[in-house]
This record gives sequence, C-alpha cells and structure tokens, in this order.
Amino acid sequence: MSAATQLYLATVSVYICVNVIASWALDIQFGVTGVLNFSFVVFQAAGAYTAAILSLGPSSSSGGFQRYVGGWRLPFPVPIIGAMVVGAVLAGVVGLVSLRRLRSDYQAMVMLVVSVIATIVAESQTGLVNGVAGISLVANPMVSLIHATRQTQIWIFVLFCVFCMALVGVVMYATVYSPFGRVLRAVRENDRAIEALGRNANRHRMQAFVIGGALAGLSGALLVEFIGAWAPNGWFYPETFVFFTAVIVGGRGSLTGVAVGAALVGVGVQQAVEYLPITLNPSVIASLEWIITGILTLVFLWTRPQGLLPERRRRFPTPWRSDAPELAERSAATKGDERG
Amino acid sequence: MGVLMSAIGFGIVTASILAVSSVGFTLQFSVTNVFNLSFGSVMTGTGFIAYALNTSGVSIWASMAIGALCGGVISVALNWLIFGRFIRHGISRFGMVIVTIATGLICDNTIQAFVGPTFYAYNAQPGKAFNLAGMLLTGQELIIIVIAAVMMTATHVGLKSTRLGAAMRGLSVNASLARACGVPTRRVVAVAWFASGVMAGIGSVALFLDTSTFAATTGSQFLIMVIAAAVLGGVGSAEGAVVGALVVGLATEITAAYWNPELKDVVAFVVLILVLLVRPQGMFSQLSSERTAVG
Repeated sequence: MSAATQLYLATVSVYICVNVIASWALDIQFGVTGVLNFSFVVFQAAGAYTAAILSLGPSSSSGGFQRYVGGWRLPFPVPIIGAMVVGAVLAGVVGLVSLRRLRSDYQAMVMLVVSVIATIVAESQTGLVNGVAGISLVANPMVSLIHATRQTQIWIFVLFCVFCMALVGVVMYATVYSPFGRVLRAVRENDRAIEALGRNANRHRMQAFVIGGALAGLSGALLVEFIGAWAPNGWFYPETFVFFTAVIVGGRGSLTGVAVGAALVGVGVQQAVEYLPITLNPSVIASLEWIITGILTLVFLWTRPQGLLPERRRRFPTPWRSDAPELAERSAATKGDERG
Repeated sequence: MGVLMSAIGFGIVTASILAVSSVGFTLQFSVTNVFNLSFGSVMTGTGFIAYALNTSGVSIWASMAIGALCGGVISVALNWLIFGRFIRHGISRFGMVIVTIATGLICDNTIQAFVGPTFYAYNAQPGKAFNLAGMLLTGQELIIIVIAAVMMTATHVGLKSTRLGAAMRGLSVNASLARACGVPTRRVVAVAWFASGVMAGIGSVALFLDTSTFAATTGSQFLIMVIAAAVLGGVGSAEGAVVGALVVGLATEITAAYWNPELKDVVAFVVLILVLLVRPQGMFSQLSSERTAVG
C-alpha cells in the first residue's frame, strides 16, 4: 500500500473510533437517560483544547505565534486523562445550571445557548485558546514515545484509539446493562415514577451527564492528538447534531446500534459525498453533507424511530406469580405499540 | 450620558427587531406547542426573497411586505409538509425538537448551496439621522421601530378581542377541549404558522437592514437571540416576549457600549440563564408543561 492510502485508512479508522466514543457519550446522556444535550460538542472541544494545552508546553515555546492559557508538556497518557477530567467537570457545571428544575425543552435551549456562549468566548478571548485561528502543532504522542517510521507511529496510534474504543465499550456495557443503567432508562421513560420510588431523577441525570462529558473529552483528546489542530469553526453548535443523528440512526439506547450509526453518519456520509462523481464547489460539498444528515434524521424518525439496531426490550419473570411468563408477554405486547 | 442614550437607542432598535421575531416564535409555540428551531431558516429564506425583489428594483419596504407574505407561506408549507405530519404520526416532544432542527439545517444548507458563503446587502438608504433626546436614529431605524410597535399592538388586539385570537388562546390552554368546543383546530394552527412566518419575514428584513450585511447563516445565528428573548419572557406569552426582547436588546447594546462589543450576546445569554435559575418557567409563562403538540 502506498503511504497516502495508508494515511487515508488510518485517518478513517481514527475518525470512526472517535465518533463511536463520542456517540456513546451522547447515547448515555440522550439515548439512555433522555437528556437533550445540545451543547454536547462543547465537551468534546473542551477535551481537545485541554489535551492540546497539556501537551504543547507554554505558549511562548512555539515562538509565540499562538496564545493560550497555561501550557504544560506532560507525558503521554496525562493529557488524555486531563481532557476526561475537564470534560467531566465542565459537564458537572453545565449540569448544575441546566438540569435543575427546568422543563425539558427549556433545558435543551439552555444547553444550546451554552454552546453558543462557549463559541463566542473562545473566538473573542484570543488569549484563552488562540481565538478563531485555534490551536495547532499538537504532536501525536507516539512520535516521541516510539522510535519507528512515521507510518508505524501512525498505526500504533490507530491501535491505541481502537483500544480506547474497546475499553469505553466494555465500560459502557457494564454501566448501561447494570441496575444503574436500568435506573437511567427509568428516568428517561418516566421520571415521576422513579421519583415516587424514592430515587432522585435529577441526580441520575447529572451522573449520566458527567459520564458523557468525560467520554466526550476523551474523544476530543484522541482527535486533536491525531489531526494536530483544533479551532472554533470545528465545533459550532450544529456539529452536536451529527452525533444526535448517529444515535437516532443507530438506535437510541442500543450500544451496538449507536456504534454502527456513528460510523455511518459521522464518517460514512462525509466519505460518500467526497466520492461523488461530479465536481462540486467545496462549500456546496459541506452543505450537501448537512442536507444528507438532516434528511437521514427525518427519514429515520418517520420510518424507523427505534433505529437500525433497536434497544433490546428486557423482560423479567416475576417468580412469585404462577402466570408470570404469560403476563410478561402480554405487557410486552401492549407496550410494543408505543413509539419512542 | 451621551454614550448611555445612544446605547439605549440602539437597544430599542435591536429590541424592536427581536420583539417582532420572538412574538412570531412564541405565538406559534403557544398554539401548536412545537419548539420551532427552523424559525431562523424561515428568516433567512424570506431575507433572500426580499433581496431578490430589492435588487430587481422593488423598494425595500415593499420587498419586506412581499417577503413577509412569502415567509408566511413557507412556514405553513413546512408545517403542512413536515411538522404536522410528524405530530399526527405520534412523535415525542424530544423527537419534535430534533425534527425542527433537522428541517432548519436542510433549509439553511440548501440556501447556502445556492447563495454561497458570501455576504449580501440590501440596496436601501438609511435615511437622514434624527436626534431624539441623545438617541441618534436613522429614518430607517425609526420606521423599523414603528413597524414593530404596530405589529405588537395588532397582535395584542388580535389575540384579546377577535374570535380567531380567542380560538388561539383556547388552543394554547387546552387543545382537546378547544377541539371539543368546535374550534377548527387545523385551520387555527395554519393561521398561527402563517402569522409566525410573516413575523419572521418582517423581523429578518429589519435585521438584515440593521446589520447591513447578511449571509445564509445570519437567520439561524439570530434565532438564538430570538429564543433567549422568548424563553426569558416565558415561552407562549406574547407580552413576555416583548419584555424579553427589551431586556435582551438593551442588555446587549449597553454591554457593547460600555464593555466589549464581542461579548454583547454572551451577556444577554447569561441574563437568560440567571432568570431561568430564579424563575424556571420564564418571567410571564402560564402554560403548563403537560401539553402535547398540535398539528
């Protein structure tokens, strides 16, 4: 394989891993717990900026052509862990403000507004994360870690991304299909019922929000270490919508489904548009991607709101009833008519 | 004092534009209970229709009127083609928010694909400047303020003292009861979408005149301000939207004059978040959160 093909394949692989992690992060917030987090991309951006600042060193070291707060040169896994911590803390702060006692649609609007505020602040306060130009020259950690050819270093980073995705997958399965995950789904389905059973719905929303924030930070950190740069025009508030489409197309609440959706929507649509047999103006290509994403969402919400691979409906036998299996069947049959 | 008065002047202009737009947004929400995030795209669309008329020789105010009517038609068409169908299909409230965002993205990017990433400007003269107690306003800005005042009064009178207004208020309180009382729901809903589109059209031409240049994304960027004004007042309350627009308009322009013009929108949004922390339902809303969408 030529070097260019290898780089292309490696890039697509990293994008798939990053999108799958990010979509899982949104899935635990929106798919499992039912929080419409319209500021999702902000947490990814926060992770990316954190990882960049923690690995670039002080801003004077790069000749002063970019300015940002702080700046440390920390060894390999630390910037990524830092990104997760910042993502989680930021989610905690935003959650404290927006998840309190607001109506669900007001919550969504507050988060949308948070996303816009974050972009304006990042763009106008140039000393914070280098304004509109963004931060660049972030090094791939494998370059200093492993003595090998550039190709090998890139593939080792791809393997690391796959490893992270697998790890997140294991943690997500353990969380979502545990009793804790069941409570989260109950919050989504009926928060009043769960409060009547003595659970604090807001606290559980907050937990899901923070877990999602940490994973979003991780996805941003991996992406920035691979592509090397991060700027505000990569995380305008509509970008969040790509992850929503991924979750809806895949099947909200279903981990395998969301992974498939993330690969199809986050990477597949973009690649498909790139390979169109007609030559188009670059700005038209960008518009076309958005139009396709929007149409995909509408089509799926209309024809298959449960997604490609729907969340499994779990049935529990009630051992103290002799007619238990029949009862479960019957209640499942009546519930089958409901739309998600 | 001079700085403050001129900031208040700009604030009133911004508030007028915001008031028309957010009353349109909130009126349609109160009747149909659809949080319409494609409102910004309707604004952009009508802005460009007015631009096409304006560059072919029609005066800007006539372009605004025709654009507004087109906005009403576009808005009704969106409800007829997409939103109403999804509601009758039985979609959840979460789902409906996502449907309107998707529609907005499709519309915005279709416009963008045709007009490109460049900026446009109307062919209109700002007119002679007037000095009103220290507020320097152009003739154009005064006309915008008058149009907004007339629209607000008309909406208020229409809602409070016509049968149609009563039907709208009835739908916003209890849709199924209104239907049982013989209110022609579908027709009233269509009128609400039409009115919302007309106000989007007037708001967008006024906005694009005020900002002097505009692009395919201007409407959707402004939508966040419209939502801030509407939510601040309490979504569904027309009076609240006007007060919300005044607060947002004055807060942004006074920030721009005294502190940092780049952060003026941030201040408006922070005000919104603070108000919601104290009054989660907004300043004036009396709507319950248990309503379902009507299409």
